[in-house]
Amino acid sequence: MILEITHLKKTYAGRTVVDIEHLTVSAGDTIGLVGNNGAGKTTLFRMILDLIRPSSGEILSRSKTVAGNDHWKDYTSSYLDEGFLIDYLTPQEYFVFIGSLHHMHVTDVMEHLQQYEDFFNGEILNKDKYIRDYSKGNQNKIGIAAALLQKPALLILDEPFANLDPTTQIRLKAHLKTLRSDHVTTLISSHDLNHVTDVCTRIILMEKGEIIKDLHTDRNTLAELEAYFSE
Amino acid sequence: MEMLIEKLLPGKNVILVFNGMILYYFAIDFLARLQLQELPTLAVVPYLHLNIPKRKLVTFLNVRAAFTAFNVLPLFIFFPFCILHISESYGPLVCIMYLLSIFSLMVFNNYAALYFKRITAENTKAVLSGLIFLITIALLEYLNLFSIASLSDRIFEYISIQPAAGLVFVCMAALMFFINDRYLKGNLYIEELQSDVQKRSASDYPFLDRFGEAGALAALEIKLILRNKRPRATVMKGLIFIFYGLLFYKQKMLENNDFTMMLFAAVFMTGNVTILYGQFMFGWQSAEFDGLLVSKISIKSFIKAKFLMLTMASTALTLIVSLYGLISWKILLIQFAAYLYSIGVSTVIVLYFATKNYKYIDLSKGASLNWQGVGATSLLMSIPLLLTPFIIYTPIALLSNPYWALGCIALTGIAGCLTRNFWIDFLVAAFDKRKYKIASGFRERS
Repeated sequence: MILEITHLKKTYAGRTVVDIEHLTVSAGDTIGLVGNNGAGKTTLFRMILDLIRPSSGEILSRSKTVAGNDHWKDYTSSYLDEGFLIDYLTPQEYFVFIGSLHHMHVTDVMEHLQQYEDFFNGEILNKDKYIRDYSKGNQNKIGIAAALLQKPALLILDEPFANLDPTTQIRLKAHLKTLRSDHVTTLISSHDLNHVTDVCTRIILMEKGEIIKDLHTDRNTLAELEAYFSE
Repeated sequence: MEMLIEKLLPGKNVILVFNGMILYYFAIDFLARLQLQELPTLAVVPYLHLNIPKRKLVTFLNVRAAFTAFNVLPLFIFFPFCILHISESYGPLVCIMYLLSIFSLMVFNNYAALYFKRITAENTKAVLSGLIFLITIALLEYLNLFSIASLSDRIFEYISIQPAAGLVFVCMAALMFFINDRYLKGNLYIEELQSDVQKRSASDYPFLDRFGEAGALAALEIKLILRNKRPRATVMKGLIFIFYGLLFYKQKMLENNDFTMMLFAAVFMTGNVTILYGQFMFGWQSAEFDGLLVSKISIKSFIKAKFLMLTMASTALTLIVSLYGLISWKILLIQFAAYLYSIGVSTVIVLYFATKNYKYIDLSKGASLNWQGVGATSLLMSIPLLLTPFIIYTPIALLSNPYWALGCIALTGIAGCLTRNFWIDFLVAAFDKRKYKIASGFRERS
């Protein structure tokens, strides 16, 4: 079990945004988090990453509480939004910086990035631009690649398919599937039901902060989700 | 106004002084505009794709540019005097020409400053050359080689004899307006209105490698300063303050060993990056703060990196201002004491107050008259920081002698450096306590 969430609650001025009684994630799971805007997906991610203090409850990562600890940073990497990028660096500088935090040498980083050559589609490396000058889709690619570069055991991505072109979406899906065979635990949120049901082994549906459904993906899952959202 | 002139410069011809003032005013006005007047270009971006003729957009920009305090001030300063005095002495025609000339100068300055800013947008060279220009003019005036005042006087005296000459100013203003107008019309594209895209290349600071993770973070921060407008301008401002010594270091005080005022200058000169840049610490990184928190950075090295950065800045500044040592060796003593205080004490105070700063800062905006991120804490911070040296200095200087007092300031600084590990732990605890609040504050971007 890599993550265990108990009695987790987050309230803002009396309004409950996240309210999860119990949730466990076993190592190697690929979990898709779906739900309309305001369901509490991003807030949940932020609490798992110790960016927001829960109002009550606890999140355990490898049986040790996340809040106030650093141990989880060794094996957790994430990309939620552009706020995770250092936008005045070139992509290379950013990758090298992130790599250096994990004691990777420049050559290791560059070698590792080669496997993303087709994911980048020639648009990221050696462009002599700062990250802030890239389009949103390309910034997204940089953030995802930087998260993968850290060779995580737990990967958290918030709407990774958003702003990506179709080719890259397909390549990302393929890559996420290989991560599954490498036993990387992955948590992604998405508004694209086709993609999540394709990639994920388990789907969690949230609404107004609560978990409504927790499904193991099978042939009927997509239809079930579509039925739920078209109500 | 004539009362003021008579009081300040008794026995001089009022109109002569007035004439001398005009060009002087507009020279300063021009530099002030370069620094402070906002370019209204971006205001037009939301309308570019709508069905509005280009001509209209350009006119909108031009008209909008006229609405600034710089264009109101001269009307209040010069017009009443002209109407009362010039018409009395020279008749209404000359008075009208005077008004027209002054008005034209104002319009000329308005559009010249904007044009200048447009063609050299994002160019630090322009600011520097403007500064050098200002210093040269001041020097020439001081050495009586060239005087704007007398030039101005001659020009306006000529107008009083030959009123039609005032039309030259009108033509100048009209010309400037049209140059600006044509430039805008030809360059009304978002791409061209914004800063030019330079080739961005990666850079490295290998000398920081020996500091490990803290070194990598300090290198990151150096890039932040060099590659973003507001932090760069803030640090540049700090460099201007190294001229404080010219104002505060006085021969007489040095002879009397009266270091109080000089100590203030020294503390400010050696520590101004710490104060000016440090007051927004963490806020500079507000855009990527979430990313920093989740990445594998220990807060300890994060804080250490800040110390490293501020120490390097103070060291560099101290080396530069050591040139004042040519005036007297006593200055070197004062500055060295101030330097030790800056790196030992100021840094801790600044970083502590930084943990109470929750305001997002947009790095791409200019630094002058920009109050984003300025809160009560950042202003409060400078009080203990600038006051402490005097609390140490004054009683000891009175009881024994000023040199001992300087020594005590230096000792406080050394004590701060020696106990740095304690302060790092203290700051880490303060940071951890408030990190959620800081992070959520930085997420609110307004």
